[in-house]
Amino acid sequence: MLNAVSRAYVRGGVQAISTGLKATGVAINSMANRQGHTDLQVPDFTDYRRDSVKDGRRRNETAEERKAFSYLMVGAGAVGSAYAAKGLVNAFVGSMSASADVLAMAKIEIKLSDIPEGKSVTFKWRGKPLFIRHRTAGEIDTERQVPTASLRDPETDDQRVIKPEWLVVIGVCTHLGCVPIANAGDFGGYYCPCHGSHYDASGRIRKGPAPLNLEVPTHEFPDEGTLVVG
Amino acid sequence: MKVIYNTLFKRTSTYAVAIIASAFFFERAVDVSSNLIFETVNKGKLWKDIKGKYE
Repeated sequence: MLNAVSRAYVRGGVQAISTGLKATGVAINSMANRQGHTDLQVPDFTDYRRDSVKDGRRRNETAEERKAFSYLMVGAGAVGSAYAAKGLVNAFVGSMSASADVLAMAKIEIKLSDIPEGKSVTFKWRGKPLFIRHRTAGEIDTERQVPTASLRDPETDDQRVIKPEWLVVIGVCTHLGCVPIANAGDFGGYYCPCHGSHYDASGRIRKGPAPLNLEVPTHEFPDEGTLVVG
Repeated sequence: MKVIYNTLFKRTSTYAVAIIASAFFFERAVDVSSNLIFETVNKGKLWKDIKGKYE
């Protein structure tokens, strides 16, 4: 089977041959009239040519120069598109990052001199209560003495605090998310009124239904007297 | 032109590198100059110009 294109080609070929055979008698005559187009003058395109190709003998020498120009134009376009593409990608990726108002609320800076010893102060941080407790020497000592084997969620006091005087915990009970009350309960730390979970002065669960210690957020002391949480 | 063609444009690898490298400089130039134009047009209205009045 021949497809449409090749069939057309074959038909055309046959026609050409048959007309060729028929025309042999008058071929010489017609050729004489047409003279193989040798009488036609090639128009002068000099006005439209670049300087580098005006001289026929120089055309091969200037090929690199002309190609360099073409590639330079394409390259300039590519540089522009690369710039545009980078801006586009930047905008889309940037839209995924946190907005400025969220970033502004993500950190809290606290002046520690405002918190007297033995007191627990509550701040709002990322929509949650944040407890900052200025512990007394007695409390620090008591928490260090607690054997970890007796704890439900074993953590030493040193693992939970950076400076022993300052305890920083998120004030959300690990049981069902109530806000514990400071300086209450059997262990002198926090007490959750909802289901009776007792936390000690290191925020560790000691008694009641809560499974885990109060969460310690990432915090640091950039200098004496300031605390940054977040 | 000849030298540039033979060293940079002839191979696709060097051509691509040349485009990326010049894109860096192009970006910097566009950003700086457009910023400069904006600040010249809006001279006297920007915060850095009127900051002195409020401090």
